[in-house]
Amino acid sequence: MSKYEKTIGLEVHVELKTQSKIFSSSANTYGMDTNTCVNVVDLGYPGTLPTINEEVLKIGVKAAHILHCNITKRMHFDRKNYFYPDNPKNYQITQSRTPIGTDGYVEIELDGEKKKIGIEEIHIEEDTCKSAHRGKVSLLDFNRAGVPLLEIVSKPCMKNKDEAIKYLEKLKELLFYGDISDCKMEEGSMRCDANVSLSKEVGKLGTKCEVKNMGSIHSVGEAIEIEEKRQQECLEKGEVIKEQTRRYDEKKKATILMRVKETGNDYRYFPEPDIPFVVLEDSFIKEAIETLPLLPDELRKIYQEKGLSKTQIEKIIANRPLSNYFNQLLENDINHSLAANLLLGDIAAYLNKKNLTLDQTKLGKNRFLSLIQKMEDGSLSSKNLKEILDEIMESEKDIDDIMKEKGIQNIKDDTVILQVIEKVMQENEASVKDYLEGKDRALKYLMGQVMKETKGSVNPKMANDLLIEKLKERSV
Amino acid sequence: MNNYLDLSLEELHELLVKKEITPLDLVKEAKRRIEEQQDLNAFITINDKALEEAQNLGEVEEDNLFFGLPIAIKDNIMTKDLRTTCASKMLENFIPIYDATVIEKIKEKKMIIIGKTNMDEFAMGSTSRTSYFGAPKNPHDKTKIAGGSSGGSAVCVAANLTPLALGSDTGGSIRQPASYTGIVGMKPTYGRISRYGLVAFASSLDQIGPMTRTVKENAQLLSILVGKDNRDLTSSNQKEEDFTRKIGQSIQGLKVAVPTYFMSDIVSKEIKEAIKKTIAYLEKNGVTVEEVEMKYLDKAVTLYQIIAMGEASSNLARFDGVRYGFRADDVDSVEEMYTKTRQLGFGDEVKRRIMVGSYLLSGENAKIYYDKALSIRDDMKKEFDRVFQTYDLLIGPTTTTTAYGLEENVDDPMKSFLDDVLVIPVNMAGLPSLNIPLGKSQENMPFGLQIIGKAFDEATIYQLGAFLEGGRHE
Repeated sequence: MSKYEKTIGLEVHVELKTQSKIFSSSANTYGMDTNTCVNVVDLGYPGTLPTINEEVLKIGVKAAHILHCNITKRMHFDRKNYFYPDNPKNYQITQSRTPIGTDGYVEIELDGEKKKIGIEEIHIEEDTCKSAHRGKVSLLDFNRAGVPLLEIVSKPCMKNKDEAIKYLEKLKELLFYGDISDCKMEEGSMRCDANVSLSKEVGKLGTKCEVKNMGSIHSVGEAIEIEEKRQQECLEKGEVIKEQTRRYDEKKKATILMRVKETGNDYRYFPEPDIPFVVLEDSFIKEAIETLPLLPDELRKIYQEKGLSKTQIEKIIANRPLSNYFNQLLENDINHSLAANLLLGDIAAYLNKKNLTLDQTKLGKNRFLSLIQKMEDGSLSSKNLKEILDEIMESEKDIDDIMKEKGIQNIKDDTVILQVIEKVMQENEASVKDYLEGKDRALKYLMGQVMKETKGSVNPKMANDLLIEKLKERSV
Repeated sequence: MNNYLDLSLEELHELLVKKEITPLDLVKEAKRRIEEQQDLNAFITINDKALEEAQNLGEVEEDNLFFGLPIAIKDNIMTKDLRTTCASKMLENFIPIYDATVIEKIKEKKMIIIGKTNMDEFAMGSTSRTSYFGAPKNPHDKTKIAGGSSGGSAVCVAANLTPLALGSDTGGSIRQPASYTGIVGMKPTYGRISRYGLVAFASSLDQIGPMTRTVKENAQLLSILVGKDNRDLTSSNQKEEDFTRKIGQSIQGLKVAVPTYFMSDIVSKEIKEAIKKTIAYLEKNGVTVEEVEMKYLDKAVTLYQIIAMGEASSNLARFDGVRYGFRADDVDSVEEMYTKTRQLGFGDEVKRRIMVGSYLLSGENAKIYYDKALSIRDDMKKEFDRVFQTYDLLIGPTTTTTAYGLEENVDDPMKSFLDDVLVIPVNMAGLPSLNIPLGKSQENMPFGLQIIGKAFDEATIYQLGAFLEGGRHE
């Protein structure tokens, strides 16, 4: 549609899920009272020194592995010097020259086509304070200062907002399943800046503008589209675009200029002398990677092998607690598709209604297995399940006892079923005749009568099979 | 009037154990001495609670040599609840809320901190004249500088206000004032003593060290300061040890090198003469002494300026008026607050070094200067390693001259670096080095001998230092 080639690169920051901060022993928390998770190191107190949280290195290795990066085994940290009140030491400890991971990718699928989105590098750094401005006064919360961050810098290789959105969704899914970060954009534990550029010449990059302040993946998409439009209009008017930083205003649906980069930023990077070189031993790397849980694409494959439909698979993966629950059933010899249906259907509805999670109910693994068993062999119909589901979820009682109390019997005895079938056939000769003449609908009617006679307590499959058998005997 | 503080640590300890004196007596005496010699300007802050602390020490610990002894601390080491200024207006009213690791160790040993000693502002200087609180004076001649940056601690020990003091040495700041004031000062191996709580000047060079009257007491004090600290990643894993263990052992067979640069024309004649006498005395006692040519020594000051000022420009960025320390009034924006606070809070020398350091790290300069300096520094380390393959120790003068007048060379910013030309190479290589008093000039001003050892071999330095101590070779 346009004569311009658009290029998008994304810089994503995620907060890492660690117990303590990256360079101090303060707790890494969210939502605590302001300035309660702070010590002298976080405050940049004179004389204090950084320590290094090994958990961060481990998570960094995991992230590098997940994102198919080369892992930098001998690395150091650097100081990025700039004055800003939210930057306690007025330098940020980051990795400039030896990022923990380089040259990776994330694979996305768009309209059935797969594409690898390249990752330039990932590096570890510390978060800044959270600042709030009240008129002339600025307030600082140091709880966030020193929270470990991973910055993931994509290559400038996305061609439109759809690719960008897919990339972010995939990245979020991967980092979340890899226990790297909880990736909540609304809480700021995942943040994204977009570099957008337009060029007339294919294969040549235009001048990029950085857009910040997007609160969701959806608004990243919006902002990209709006920024592309703005740049296109500028270029069509013959204006020259200067490298700049812009802020996305979600209400105005516009990107607003923050600052033009006159010269390249001078952060006076140099190796952090307070932290010696870090050498990641092969055993350390191996151990970190081995502790990774199953990742979404691996799960997709397994779920498919277990006979789940694409819709079921995506629904389960979108819900990690459910996926975790489901994963513990993978080794059991059950109908997994039926189990998925049950979890995504009646059980999900129940949880939704009661606003609970599975682990808050009585439905442990063994209870679920006994439930699915009964559904599979037909001794509990889905109609009957609806009657007793609440109790299954909420009481400790044996499912058999619950069924008994509700008068749901398990008639699996052939002779009893046969007696009922004989009776129904005698009473409905017309339908029997219809069936034998090829009217399949008659079977359904007869079956309905069987169920009615037994108040739905026979094993439907078994009854159906026996009924057909008996009808066939007649036709001979 | 008592003069217990003229006694050795062991004698003091014995009197304390016998209950002939109490820690309170010693604190009172130290305070009296400080008051009597207030014009030396050795202290920035006196610990008002020292008397109370001495009273509350409890039963004397017989196996603790340092029990109840008064000590002075350089004012760039954090002392909880006791003002720590770095001799700067920036921290003029700064009361720390935590103790440096060395201070924790000193308090564990039940020493009494008498006060915080004067120094160059943020340890930047070699005369202690950049102090916001005025320069300390040399007790040997009060019109002369005490050296720096640990000038106050040197004066304190030289005038025997307290027998023990801590200094810090980034580019000679313990050894050079020790030489100028005639005391013993050790810069231990980089990583020997935790830097946690030492206000950083140049992180890759800074090291805390003991300043004392005698070599043995220096070794004794060092023994309780060292050890791995989990709060300082650059602190080494070396086990704690008794640094006095080689003192008194025969020095026969030791091999000592004298770098030719240390005997070149930059060193005054009388100091060179004294070194030659020392060499002869050592040879007479079975020590092999040889002059060696060493590369890079003459480049040390340049490297030092690049590395130290680069790191300092970043380390001192935190003094911005936001969280602690001085903040300028009447400002309309954050930028103005930064600018005015730093303009008014820092002295000229500090500002000069921050500016030069910022320039050195700017853009491409970081690669041209800082990276290059780090790489030459590695070569310099290797050069020392090479010499130490053959020799046990290196010796030479600590300073090229004796202390000069308080008003001399005030306008020459390069002078303060050139004062340290002989002591800086050691910081570059991270090695341990000790100053011991060697002699006195015709003007009766002291100068010292520097003994440099292999990394973590302070014990052998003390062995030779103790042998040469007291001018037996004169």
